[in-house]
Amino acid sequence: MAKRASGDLEAEVLAALWAAGHPLTAGDVLQSLDDPELAYNTVQTILTRLHAKGAVERERSGRAHTYTPVLDDAGLVAHRMRAALDRGSDHAAVLSHFLGTLNPDERSALSRLLGQPGRKAAR
Amino acid sequence: MSITVYLPLLIAPLFALLAPRLARRLSPGPATWMLSTGSLLVAGASVAALALLAVPLAAQLPVLAQQGGWSGSVLAAHDPVRPPIAVTALTLLICLAGSALRSLLGQAVALRRSYRVAAALPATGQLAVIDTGRPDAFAVPGRPGRIVVSPAVLHALDSGQRRALLAHERAHLSAHHHLHAAAAELAATVNPLLWSLRGATRLSCERWADEAAAAVAGRFETAAALARAGRLSAETPVRAPARPSLAAALTDVEVRLAALSRPAPRRISSWRLVIPLLLVALCGLAVANAAAEAHALLELAQGR
Repeated sequence: MAKRASGDLEAEVLAALWAAGHPLTAGDVLQSLDDPELAYNTVQTILTRLHAKGAVERERSGRAHTYTPVLDDAGLVAHRMRAALDRGSDHAAVLSHFLGTLNPDERSALSRLLGQPGRKAAR
Repeated sequence: MSITVYLPLLIAPLFALLAPRLARRLSPGPATWMLSTGSLLVAGASVAALALLAVPLAAQLPVLAQQGGWSGSVLAAHDPVRPPIAVTALTLLICLAGSALRSLLGQAVALRRSYRVAAALPATGQLAVIDTGRPDAFAVPGRPGRIVVSPAVLHALDSGQRRALLAHERAHLSAHHHLHAAAAELAATVNPLLWSLRGATRLSCERWADEAAAAVAGRFETAAALARAGRLSAETPVRAPARPSLAAALTDVEVRLAALSRPAPRRISSWRLVIPLLLVALCGLAVANAAAEAHALLELAQGR
C-alpha cells in the first residue's frame, strides 16, 4: 500500500472521529484506522494538531483525552453550498460525486456486482 | 479546395466511436488525457474545417474584399466550394461559436463558484464534514480544493472504505479531473458529434480516481466503498430532480466495480495510442492542407 502524506492521514483521523459518532481516545482512533503501519504517537500528534486547529474538542476522561469532531455552523454552510453548487447545469463538469443517486433497482444491480469481486487480500 | 477539408468532419464521429473503446483498454490516466485532449483537438480541427469552407465565400463580401485587397470575382470564379455548402458551413460556424462561448462562460462561472465554495468551507485541511441533508461525498475544486463528505457516509463506511473514499476524492482534486471534464464538455458543444465523449471522459476520470484509491486502500475496499455509498444514497429519498445522467450512472458504476474486481491495469502499452494519435494527426494535416489552399486562393485573387 502506498504511503500517505500527513494531510491525508489528518483527514482519515477526522473521518474516523466522525464515523464513530462518539468521543474517541487516541487509542480508539488508532484501532479504528486499522492500519498496522500506524504508530500511536503519530495519531496522538495528529489529534493534538486537529485540536489546535479547532477541528476537534478535547475532554479529559480518566488518564486519557477523548476527542469529538466539531460541527460549526455547518448547517448554514451546507445550505449555502448546495444553493451555490446546484445552480445551473454546468456544475456537472466541476463536481464529481463519488456516486450518483441510485434507485432500488440499481441498488440490487450493485449488490449483484458486489458479489463478484472476491475478498482475496485481507485488509 | 480539395476533399481534405472535410476530413476532420469525417474523423470526428470515428474518433467518438473508437476513443471510448480504446480508453477502456488503457490505464485510466492516459485514457483520460487521450479522451479530453483528443476530443478538444478534433473539435478544434472541425471548427477550422468549417471556417476554411466558409472563407472563400466570406472573403467575397465587398467589405472584406476591399480590406484584403483581393478581387471578389476572381474568388467567385475559382472557389471550389459550392455556395450552398459555404453558406451552411458559415451558419454552422456561427451557431457553434455561440454555443461554445456559452459553454465556456458557463464552465467558468461554475468553476469560480466552486472556488468560492471551497474557500468558504469550514474544512480542516482538505476534508470538510458537512451534513448536506443527504449522503454526499464529492470533491470541490479550488485553491486548495476540498473534499465534502456528509457524516452519514462516514458512519456507513469502515476504515478501509473511508480511506478509499478520501483517496478517490483526493485524486479528483490533485489530477484536476474537472478540467478534463470541462474540456470534453467544450469539445462536445463545439462539435456535437463528440457528444458521447463527455460521458466517456467522466467515466475515465472516475476510473482514474478509483485506481488511485485502490493503490492506497486496496481494490476490494474501493469497490466496497463504492457499493456502500451507492446503497446509502439508494436508501435516501431523493428530493432533488433526478440527474439526467442517471441511466448512465448505473452502467458507469457497473463498469467501475467490474474494473475493480479485476487486477490493476498494466502499464500503458503505447501502440494502443497509435490510432487516436493518427486520427488527430490526420485532422491537423487536413486543416493545414486546406489552409494552404485557401491562402493560395486568396493570393491568386490578390493578383500575385
